[in-house]
Amino acid sequence: MSYSFRDHTADIIVHITGKTLDDIYSEAGTALMDIMYGKSTGTGIQRTVSLKNSDPDTLLFDFLSELLFLSDSENIVFSSIVVSLSLPCLNATLDGEPFSPDRHAGGMEVKGISLSGLHIVKDEDGYTLDILFDV
Amino acid sequence: MIDGVQQTGPLEWEVPVGYIPGMRVPGRFFLSTALASTVETGAVQQLAQVATLPGIQTHSLAMPDIHWGYGFPIGGVAAFDIEQGIISPGGVGFDINCGVRLMTTPLTPADLTQKKELVNALFGAVPVGVGARSKKTLSQADLTAMMQQGAGWAVRAGYGMPDDIIHSEEQGCMKDADIAFVSDKARLRGLPQGGTLGAGNHFLELQVVQEILDPVAASAFGLVQGTVCLMIHCGSRGLGHQVCTDHLRELEQATKKYHIHLPDRQLACAPLTSPEGMAYFGAMAASANYAWANRQMIMHEARIIIEKITGAPYDEMRLVYDVAHNVAKKEEHIVDERKKMVCVHRKGATRAFGPKSPDLPNDYAKTGQPVIIPGSMGTSSFVLAGTDTAMKKTFGSTCHGAGRVMSRSQAKKKIDGKGIREKLAKQGILVRAPHDAAIAEEAPGVYKSSSEVVSVVDAIGISHLVARLEPLAVIKG
Repeated sequence: MSYSFRDHTADIIVHITGKTLDDIYSEAGTALMDIMYGKSTGTGIQRTVSLKNSDPDTLLFDFLSELLFLSDSENIVFSSIVVSLSLPCLNATLDGEPFSPDRHAGGMEVKGISLSGLHIVKDEDGYTLDILFDV
Repeated sequence: MIDGVQQTGPLEWEVPVGYIPGMRVPGRFFLSTALASTVETGAVQQLAQVATLPGIQTHSLAMPDIHWGYGFPIGGVAAFDIEQGIISPGGVGFDINCGVRLMTTPLTPADLTQKKELVNALFGAVPVGVGARSKKTLSQADLTAMMQQGAGWAVRAGYGMPDDIIHSEEQGCMKDADIAFVSDKARLRGLPQGGTLGAGNHFLELQVVQEILDPVAASAFGLVQGTVCLMIHCGSRGLGHQVCTDHLRELEQATKKYHIHLPDRQLACAPLTSPEGMAYFGAMAASANYAWANRQMIMHEARIIIEKITGAPYDEMRLVYDVAHNVAKKEEHIVDERKKMVCVHRKGATRAFGPKSPDLPNDYAKTGQPVIIPGSMGTSSFVLAGTDTAMKKTFGSTCHGAGRVMSRSQAKKKIDGKGIREKLAKQGILVRAPHDAAIAEEAPGVYKSSSEVVSVVDAIGISHLVARLEPLAVIKG
C-alpha cells in the first residue's frame, strides 16, 4: 500500500497501489491530505462518511470530494482515514485535528478531484490507480 | 511537432478531423515554432477530444499558453451552438472565474520607501494560502447577494467605488446566476472565504509600468510609465470548487441520459437547453459572481493598506479592468458569415473583445478590451487590447498567462524556494509566501517566457501589446 506523485504539467497525478480496494481508497484520501497539509499525525476530531454507488471509480470520486469538503468546510486535517467497502456501500472513519498554520501550511490547495482517466485497475498484486487532483 | 499535427501558417497549427475518432471539427492552436516543442501530446489529445462535443462551432481552439490540463487543455477555447450545443464543466474547471484584475496607483517606485512594511501589511490583511479564513463574517444574505450581484454587491457593501464595476468583464456580474442550483455545501465553503486569496498560482503583485507599447490605448487604460500598479489573481474559492464537483456528477448522469458519447469523463456535459445544462450554467454564473466580488473585496483591502502606508488616496487607485480566465458565457459571434449566439467556454483563456464590442465601457470603446496577462513570479506582465482579429479567429479570446512547462512536483524537487526568494530580493523584488515550497512551485523557470507568449498573440493579431509591467513585490498564496 503506497502512493507516489507523477508528473503532470498543470496539476498533480497520484499513483496509488494497494492490496484491496479499501487500501486504494484510504491511500488516496491520505495522499489528498498530504498534498494539502503535509504529513500529519494529529487526532481527536472524528467524522464518519457513508456513501453508496455501485461503480467503484465514481464512489472514489464521491468519497474524496466528501473528504475535501469536510476538511475545507470544517478546517480539519485528517491523519487517519479508515475505509470499509462493501460495494455499493462505503463506510469511512476519519480522525484528525484542527488546521494550524504553524504545522499545516506547507501544502497545495486541491480544488477538485478530476474524473479524467479515473479508473481503478485490478492486477495480480491487487489494485492500482492514477488520479488527478486539480491544484 | 507531434505526429498528425500540421503547420498551417507561421504561427498556426491544425489537428485534423480524424486525429481521434468522432471529431466534428478540426483543432487549431497558435504557437511559434520555438514554443511548439513545449506542447505535450496530452494537450493535443485534449484539444482533439473537445472537438468531439456536440454543437461545437468551426474549431476546437487553444491559445499559445496551451498545456496539458484535464477535460479541456489549459488555454482551450470552444464555442457551442446555443440550441444544439452542450455546456461542460470540463471547459471551465474547478476554479470558476479564476481571473485577474489590475489597479493603477499615483505612486512611483521611489514613493515606496516602506516597501517591506507595505508588503507585510498586505500579507497580513489579505488571508493567503491553504486553510486561510476571511476576517469578515458574511451572512447567508450577504452570500446570496454576492452570488446574484457580484462586484456590484461588494461596492454597495462598502468595498469599493462605483467606477470599479464599469471596468470589469460583464461589469462584474453575470445576470444568468441562479442560486437555486448552488448547494448548501458550496454555500458553507463560500461563507468564510470571501476576501481570501487562496493558494497555488494566486497572488498579489506590486508592479511598475516599465514600457508603453501603445500610447493611445495605455492612456485610455490609465497606464502611466513609471507608476506603480497592483495585480490581483484569484478565483471563486471553495464555493466554485464545490459547484464544479456537484454539477460534474449531475452532468455525468445527464451525459448518459442524452446519449452523448465522451472520450473523457471530465468532459461530462448536457445540452445547454436541458434542465441539467441550465442548472450548471446558473450555478457557474453565481460562482463567477462570487469570484468578482472576492477580487473586489481584496482590492478594497489593498487600497486601504496602500493609502495608510504610502499616503496615496484611495480614490486615486483606479481599476483598469478585471478579466475571467475560467468561464462559459453566452455571446454573439460571427459564424459562417452570420451573427449567431454561442456558448463560449474559456479554460485558461481570456476574453479579448475588439473595439466597439458590446460590454465594453465607453472609455475603452475605441481601444478594445484591456487584456491582462500575468507573467510568472519575477518576470514581466503585460497589458494588451482585444482586436477585431480575435473576434474573427478565436471567438474574441486570447492567452491568459505564460503557460506551465514544469510540473509542481518536479518544481518542488528541483527548485529551491528560499534560493529563488533571495535571488529575487537581490533584484529588488520582495516575495512573501506562506512557505518557501510555495515559491518553488511557481518559480519563473516552471513557465514559458511570458514575453514570448504575448509576442505570439500580438503577431497573430488576437490582441495587441499596450504595456509591459515589471514586478516590485509579490505576495503569493
